[in-house]
Amino acid sequence: MVSEKTLFGKVGTYLLFAGPTTFALFTVVILPFLFGVYLTLTNWDGLSATYLFVGLKNYRMVFEDKAFWTSFGLTLRYVAYTVVLTNVIAFTLAYLLTSGIRGQNFLRAGFFVPNLIGGIVLGLIWRFVFSNVLVYVGKRFGWELFLRSWLAHPDKAFWALVIVSVWQSSGYMMVIYIAGLMGIPKDLVEAATIEGATGLQRLRYVILPLLTPFTTVCIFLSLQRGFIVYDLNKALTEGGPYKSTELVAMHVYEKAFLAQQYEIGQSEAFFLFAMIVGVTLAQVYLGKRLEVEQ
Amino acid sequence: MAQRQRYREGILEVLRLSFLYFLLVLYLIPFFLVFVNAFKDRNQIIANPFRLPSAFHLANFIEAFRKMNYPYAFWNSLVITVLSTALIVFFSSMTAYLFARLPWKFNRFMFFLMVASMLIPFQAIMIPLVKIYGSFGLLNNRWTLMYMYLGFGCSFAVFLYHGAIKSIPLELEEAAMIDGCSRFQAFFRIVFPLLRPTTTTVAILDVLWIWNDFLLPSLVLISPRNRTLPLSTYYFYGTYTSEYGLLLASLILSITPVIIFYLFMQRHIIRGILQGSIK
Amino acid sequence: MRKLVFFLIAALVLSVAMSVTAGARVNITFLNSKGEIQAQLEEIAALYSEIAKDVTVEVIPCPVGQSPFEKVVSMYASGNAPTIAMVDAGDVKKFQDKALNLTGERWVQDAIPGSLDMATLEDGTVVGFPFAVEGYGLISNKKVLDKALGKSFDPSSIRTRKDLQALFEELKNAGVAPLVISPLDWSLGAHFFAIAYAAQSPDPKQVDAFLKDLRAGKVDLQQNSVVNGLLDTFDVMRAYNIDKDDPLSGTYDRGSYLLGTGEVAMWFMGNWAWPQLSELDPEGEYGFLPVPISDNPDDYGNSQIPVGATKFLILDREQSSEAEQRAAKDFLNWLVYDAKGQDMLVNKLSIIPAFKNITLEPKDPLAKSILQYVRAGKTLQFVLDLPADHWRMVGAFMQKYLGNAISRDELLDEIENYWKNVK
Repeated sequence: MVSEKTLFGKVGTYLLFAGPTTFALFTVVILPFLFGVYLTLTNWDGLSATYLFVGLKNYRMVFEDKAFWTSFGLTLRYVAYTVVLTNVIAFTLAYLLTSGIRGQNFLRAGFFVPNLIGGIVLGLIWRFVFSNVLVYVGKRFGWELFLRSWLAHPDKAFWALVIVSVWQSSGYMMVIYIAGLMGIPKDLVEAATIEGATGLQRLRYVILPLLTPFTTVCIFLSLQRGFIVYDLNKALTEGGPYKSTELVAMHVYEKAFLAQQYEIGQSEAFFLFAMIVGVTLAQVYLGKRLEVEQ
Repeated sequence: MAQRQRYREGILEVLRLSFLYFLLVLYLIPFFLVFVNAFKDRNQIIANPFRLPSAFHLANFIEAFRKMNYPYAFWNSLVITVLSTALIVFFSSMTAYLFARLPWKFNRFMFFLMVASMLIPFQAIMIPLVKIYGSFGLLNNRWTLMYMYLGFGCSFAVFLYHGAIKSIPLELEEAAMIDGCSRFQAFFRIVFPLLRPTTTTVAILDVLWIWNDFLLPSLVLISPRNRTLPLSTYYFYGTYTSEYGLLLASLILSITPVIIFYLFMQRHIIRGILQGSIK
Repeated sequence: MRKLVFFLIAALVLSVAMSVTAGARVNITFLNSKGEIQAQLEEIAALYSEIAKDVTVEVIPCPVGQSPFEKVVSMYASGNAPTIAMVDAGDVKKFQDKALNLTGERWVQDAIPGSLDMATLEDGTVVGFPFAVEGYGLISNKKVLDKALGKSFDPSSIRTRKDLQALFEELKNAGVAPLVISPLDWSLGAHFFAIAYAAQSPDPKQVDAFLKDLRAGKVDLQQNSVVNGLLDTFDVMRAYNIDKDDPLSGTYDRGSYLLGTGEVAMWFMGNWAWPQLSELDPEGEYGFLPVPISDNPDDYGNSQIPVGATKFLILDREQSSEAEQRAAKDFLNWLVYDAKGQDMLVNKLSIIPAFKNITLEPKDPLAKSILQYVRAGKTLQFVLDLPADHWRMVGAFMQKYLGNAISRDELLDEIENYWKNVK
């Protein structure tokens, strides 16, 4: 057996175990990413056979693109609501579904199922619900709230987006929370009960702290999904009405392909990436700190 | 006194159950709509989406089946999903094992890189990816697609496996290696079988993702005979409007296999996440 | 004896070689960006593949949510460029360094005048094949109109905004909803508002100059009578819109449904809507009414509807072989000159062809209506030489105006600013 102490041995071991994935990661993700960064320093419009190096000019134009910043702000708002609502609902469901209620497994499966429909199809079905079904319901029962299509008004359309996102992701997060709750040692909880803690106090002082790593993961995943959402945005509201619900990924995509300013779109994409990394790193760091303190 | 307590708890349970079932019904209404409307034709759907169909004809399903070239598309989806998932499971578990057991600086750096790469928005690398692989003539090929899924999927899998492996006591492998096993053998004979819950979780999540994925196959697989199921559903979208009846039927045909798969496997997901979480 | 053997072997080899090359089919790909004709195109491709014996045509659909431009770009980037690609008129010139020179093709001479404009480069080279001629305006359901008015409706009686308004009022009094406006950004931005450009002048060069001036910021839209006239008509339409209480909620499907079932008398849309209307009302009578821009019946724009070639086919010269290019050219010629090809084009695809030599009459009422206007010389330019995101941006502004979120002045300001800053 080749010794793992030598450099040769180490390299060999690494290649054996992690070679394929490292190679795949590099050639499928890292390399195109770096190539993309390089392209943002040129003026390639996505089509011509030639392009010139233009340095940081594209990034300057990113700052000047007001619509990018508007959509980014909108996305922050969207992410804030979605992450909070998804996690609160997911946790509540998980809590209820780990208390030994009858039919638990069935309910767990049921709530996860929305996660199975993705992307454009999801948006289409919900668009149908908001613009046809709810309006029909509103007219039939005279409910003012649904009389006009939610997708026709900027504020309501925004909430439509949030609702659908929460609907889709809460089942997924719920499953993670269930796993977390199941991993909490029962004796800890019992001890607290014996000492006279109420349900709420048990929740606050025992359960939630022990769930911190799971909460961190869930928030990380919901942040990631929220920032790069495109399919749903496109299929549900198409950024409408009149571009009032155009989230940042959609803006970037349209900049690159619709306005055919590919080089700026690509630069905006990288900007977005940098900002996402910043936010999520901060969040995970905070999460780890909280964990340690417990 | 105790009886009153039990009585109160009983009511609470009933309340909780009703709340949950009510919520569940709301959650599943879109599925109900998809199901009910798949049996109607386009104009009936537009006129009244809630009305139950007058009869449950299978006309939409039959036509969708034919137009989607369902057997081919299903086979393509199956092959790509199963093989890609197998690749991801096989190679990521090994990688995570390395990262978890041998905490070299390089390993820590690579692990961080993998997790960070999960944040890269797909749109940012879409065109460069296509340009690079296109210039080597590697597109329109199922193997390229599977390889790309490995590249995209290994990060999350490694992340999940990493946590799981850390919770497996070292003594077992150490004993095996003292007895003369190589690390590789130790991994496969001892560690990997213990990772079954995590493997199941990774497999389920990857199957769900890859089976329903549209964007990547649309960029990589060009000719009709290579189409996966999601690609063939897009057939029913027109420029201004869509063949809703056929579309919904094709949707049902497309996600039913994966729903069945999920229902069989669902209790394992939780166990798998549990295993991956105890540090 | 040896000579015989040699000869036999040579003959054998030769015949094998010939059968191999003769059996080698040329495979060409056709990217289709008109979702509604995908199935029909595939049938035609299969038919042609049988007829042409050594050519196979494969039709590739353009996925929903992707513009044709974007799909073609990604196909070129991946080294899989389609032999024939159907692109929007405004995108043809962007592909000029990849498109085959088609100036020498026979159909260039037979193309309807003006239809090749969007595909002709500065030096006169033609790089695109005009695939579909389309037109738009106020589609009217004749049966509904006749019934409401109690007499046979004569489209030529509507020549001014006042006439249109009077008609709307009569319809309303007869208990029929006059019209539906679909609040789609592409419909309002690329079609409706474009009338304002087209009606500036019957001379395309003047229209071009107008657009150039807009880019230079030299135009004050508030003072432009055509633009204001069009928007005045829009205001009239808005007042009689069946959806006027919730104008932004409608969908394309709702529009076709309302018109096809006779719930409204008119719908602003183009002839591409025929497949949806024919599903609901295959025997119906429909025709186009122009959107008037003023109250003077002689003004240019009051009796004309925009008609033009909107989709073009470009042939790839960068990534296809000579044989493939030749096969593609042959396929196009078949569509234009072969009786079966013409039949497929006009009747199966419901397309109005852009070629003089095709005398087949289309069967659908909207196409017939368009041809009437064309033959009478009463057409406006279908302005297609607009910036790539014009429909989205100006469409969004028009939606705001339709939804009463901004005033006329603000709308015109936004449009002026858009033109000043567009690339």
